Amino acid sequence: MNLPHPPDTAAVTGRLIDARLHLLDRQVLDRAALPVTTVDDISLSDVPAGPLPHASPSPTITALLSGAFRFTRIFGGRPPMSRLDRISWSDLAEIGTAIRLRAARDTLQVGWLERWVARHVIGKIPGGRHDPE
Amino acid sequence: MKRLFAVALGILTAIGGFLDIGDIVTNAVVGSRFGMSLAWVVVVGVIGICVFAQMSGRVAAVSGRATFEIIRERLGPRAASANLAASFLINVMTLTAEVGGIALALQLVSSVSYLLWVPFAAGAVWLVIWRVRFSIMENVTGLIGLTLVGFAVALFLLGPSWSELAQQVMQQGLPGTEKATTYWFYAVALFGAAMTPYEVFFFSSGAVEEGWTAEDLTQSRVNVLVGFPLGGVLSLAIAACGAVVLLPQSIQVTTLSQVMLPVAEAGGKVLLAVIILGVVAATFGAALETTLSSGYTLAQFNGWSWGKFHRPTEAARFHLTMIICLIVGLGVLLTGMDPIKITELSVVFSAIALPLTYLPILVVANDPEYMGEQVNGAVTNAAGVFYLIVILVASLAAVPLLIITKAGS
Repeated sequence: MNLPHPPDTAAVTGRLIDARLHLLDRQVLDRAALPVTTVDDISLSDVPAGPLPHASPSPTITALLSGAFRFTRIFGGRPPMSRLDRISWSDLAEIGTAIRLRAARDTLQVGWLERWVARHVIGKIPGGRHDPE
Repeated sequence: MKRLFAVALGILTAIGGFLDIGDIVTNAVVGSRFGMSLAWVVVVGVIGICVFAQMSGRVAAVSGRATFEIIRERLGPRAASANLAASFLINVMTLTAEVGGIALALQLVSSVSYLLWVPFAAGAVWLVIWRVRFSIMENVTGLIGLTLVGFAVALFLLGPSWSELAQQVMQQGLPGTEKATTYWFYAVALFGAAMTPYEVFFFSSGAVEEGWTAEDLTQSRVNVLVGFPLGGVLSLAIAACGAVVLLPQSIQVTTLSQVMLPVAEAGGKVLLAVIILGVVAATFGAALETTLSSGYTLAQFNGWSWGKFHRPTEAARFHLTMIICLIVGLGVLLTGMDPIKITELSVVFSAIALPLTYLPILVVANDPEYMGEQVNGAVTNAAGVFYLIVILVASLAAVPLLIITKAGS
């Protein structure tokens, strides 16, 4: 029988993050605590197809993904690469009850749809750019 | 002094805010058909909404996370999408019923067909959401809605035999030709009307809108625990008016004017005018809450920014969602579908969807990662679990009863 090895104790002395519980479907907030998106999926560094070569390095998380992924997570398949909305792992500031980013929302590619609706629909309605009363 | 004023204001708006078109119509229908024999359901429902409204408010105040963010996070994409679809649909249905309710009430005072009032009502709801400050919006509609106390005044003016009403509460026999299935169908409907899920979405998101922290929890608890039961008393007064005037004459409530009949008989034009004002305010307030809730649920599920504390362009998809929902509701009403029928269906569907909303709240209210020291105590958990079972039973019974009784006809 080929039982899985017990995890390297040194590797779990840090905080244990359950991807499903602590990353997926979590709210992402920007530097100013403005909502950005929800984490729909996670991108890992390349894992070669076919049998893994001996002593291949373990994959690492490279980015949080958002967008059409929620459909593929339910129905299977892969979204086209053009639909990729990525938040680089290096932008993350904190993983708590929400995931906080170092960057401001407007500098992230992931907010393009919100910006489009703001500019072309809501911003066109009188009062749309007013501060809240 | 300022503190006292805030508490009083909170309680008063909670009373006025408790009642919506679903409560008004369902209680009148039930009173006119079953007397006070379903009063116990209102009591059970009010305690339930108190337990879960204060729980969702506490989760939002302590963790800063509103209900639908939590639903998505805990249920995962598949179950949460199904939940969103159901909750969102029922929310739009309730929104449609509320806008229809505003228009029906305006028809009573103006003799202009409600269909002409519908676009005006929907437009006014949007304008208030677009421009009016959250706290003003809540306080004004809540306070004017308090004039629904007129139903209790009407009951006293009618001078009913209190012992007979009390007897109706106690004895569970079915009046006339009513069947047991119809009785239970209306029990579920009344339960759904008292515990409508949108109130929880609205309550938890409103806590974030108003920037509640753990320090505001005592006040919110007082608002809920005093305001909602008093709102429940008004519900019972509406049912009792129906039981005293409509039941003996076997008048079945199918229009809003029939709901008003006991009021007109008891207090004449003046009381009628006061109550119509209350109905307009209560349905208008509920229309605002359901419209906002449709934006809240979709935005929180998708992680969009939401809330009236942002300028509209900073919560663009949130505002766009609300505009679309109002247009959809407007379209449905303009087909001429009876708003009272939509209301009756919406409370039953609310009952079906209740477990979807309440289970995730109960789970997260026990998670110390979110709640720290403020996790549920043993009493709240016992009450929460008990209600979850009641909600589940009501939810499972709703569809069979809907079919067997042909929607209570």
